[in-house]
Amino acid sequence: MILEAIDLTKSFGGVMAINHLSLQVEKGMILGLIGPNGSGKTTFFNLVTGLYRPDGGKVIFHGKEITGLRPHRICGLGIGRTFQVPAPFGKMTVLENVMVGTFVHASTMKAARKLALEILEKVRLDDKADQLVLNVTLEDRKRLELARALATKPSLLLLDEVMSGLTPAEVKASIELIRELRTEELTLIVVEHIMDVILSLCDRIAVLDYGQKIAEDIPDRIVNNPEVIKAYLGERYRA
Amino acid sequence: MAEKLNRRLGLPIALLIVCLILPFFLSPLWIRITTEVLMWAALAQSWNIIGGYTGYLSFGHGAFFGLGAYVTGILMVHLGWPFGIGLLASGILAALLALVIGYPTLRLRGAYFAIATWAFGEMIRQIAIILEITGGAFGMQLPSYLNLPFFYYLMLGITALTYLTTHILLERARFGLKLLAIREQEEAAEMVGVDTVSIKMEAFALSAFFPGVIGGINAYWVTYIHPDSVLGAQLTDFMVVMAFLGGIGSLWGPFLGAVLVQLVQRVLWLVWGEGTFYLVIIGGAICAVVLFIPNGLIGLMEARIFSPREALGQWRKAIKW
Repeated sequence: MILEAIDLTKSFGGVMAINHLSLQVEKGMILGLIGPNGSGKTTFFNLVTGLYRPDGGKVIFHGKEITGLRPHRICGLGIGRTFQVPAPFGKMTVLENVMVGTFVHASTMKAARKLALEILEKVRLDDKADQLVLNVTLEDRKRLELARALATKPSLLLLDEVMSGLTPAEVKASIELIRELRTEELTLIVVEHIMDVILSLCDRIAVLDYGQKIAEDIPDRIVNNPEVIKAYLGERYRA
Repeated sequence: MAEKLNRRLGLPIALLIVCLILPFFLSPLWIRITTEVLMWAALAQSWNIIGGYTGYLSFGHGAFFGLGAYVTGILMVHLGWPFGIGLLASGILAALLALVIGYPTLRLRGAYFAIATWAFGEMIRQIAIILEITGGAFGMQLPSYLNLPFFYYLMLGITALTYLTTHILLERARFGLKLLAIREQEEAAEMVGVDTVSIKMEAFALSAFFPGVIGGINAYWVTYIHPDSVLGAQLTDFMVVMAFLGGIGSLWGPFLGAVLVQLVQRVLWLVWGEGTFYLVIIGGAICAVVLFIPNGLIGLMEARIFSPREALGQWRKAIKW
């Protein structure tokens, strides 16, 4: 078990964004996280990465409790994430953006540069290394999000809609990329609204609604789960 | 690569050599003026560390300068300590004060940080007026040491040190990239492992250290300090204005801005005598910079060709006209 969320609760004002949520993620798997807008997917990521402090419950990572640690510490322990709306360092080059992530491990600029270039090559952004982020396309920014998160050498990577807003061809390329990333050493949790992406990538799928987990299963059974169909999917994906 | 490196280092080294031999050709008046220019170049760069590179606009930076002036003054006058130790103490105390002030205020962003630091600057000024050890509103007289070249070279030394430190730590090291990341997207920086709280505190302390030392040098140089001269609002104002004029977040922007503003100010002063009319001209220049060349003079030079028409177009777009 790489990540264990136990009875997490988080409310904003009177709204329960996360309502007694428990979730377990096995090492090496790709877990899909789906649910309607506002069901708590991004809030869950924010709780795991330390951006928010939960009102109740615990987050256990590699058997150690990380609840309430500051985000940079949690990042150092091996959890990386991307933002739904890309949040790059705008007036810096693509390479510099990724280098900032490598500083978690690289102790010299030279090592950081080398590592960052390797990662850029992996996500096929190496030809844009010296461009200012302000001047690159949305697709490249999404890839940069991924590259910057990978630069911190995570063992668990949280992807928050890395494919929304991309063209079908770009989505296909992204799926390939994520498949390549997946190894025994890298566990992934993927939030995505594009169901074809979720179905073709994930080993298991958890469904959130109003901050609660209403189902968790393998993809084939999730698409036929009546509760999931009612809350989120509609009839389209029923086998 | 080597050529690029030469171009980067060639100019600063040439500049340093010129500065080293300059006093031999200048009249005492112009040595004074050049010393002032160097001082402002260093002050503007210090502000640039937190304001330009980190994106936290400090409007209380003059307080570190004033603190340095008073610490050096008090240590020399009341305790009879040597000048050098006074300087060191000034720098260290200014940096420590920045840590104390920064701990609560660096959580604020934008206008809130600006207001908090401005209030802190005012507070320091009021304290200097009230206390007895500072001489209150009457100020304080330091032992006089009339040696223009000594102060010139000392100021040149601290200015060179300020720029060298900025070059090494902010342009060449991990520290600098982390600061830029904080400026551009603080949450994301924290999320990819940057300890934003500590890094910001370090940057603020560094940006306060130099004004502390410079304040000490200035106090011994002008020999008489009082709350208005070393803690007045115009100190911060000029640091900000010079940095913006030259281009914030760049190594040479503040230098360029400081040289221009201070020289123009002094020349106008020589022509028209004591007065404040130069402030009108400088004010107009600042408006023009903010409107037409938001990246400062350095940004202009990097863009190489400046087209007034293009600038006007950008301006119209900015104000939706």
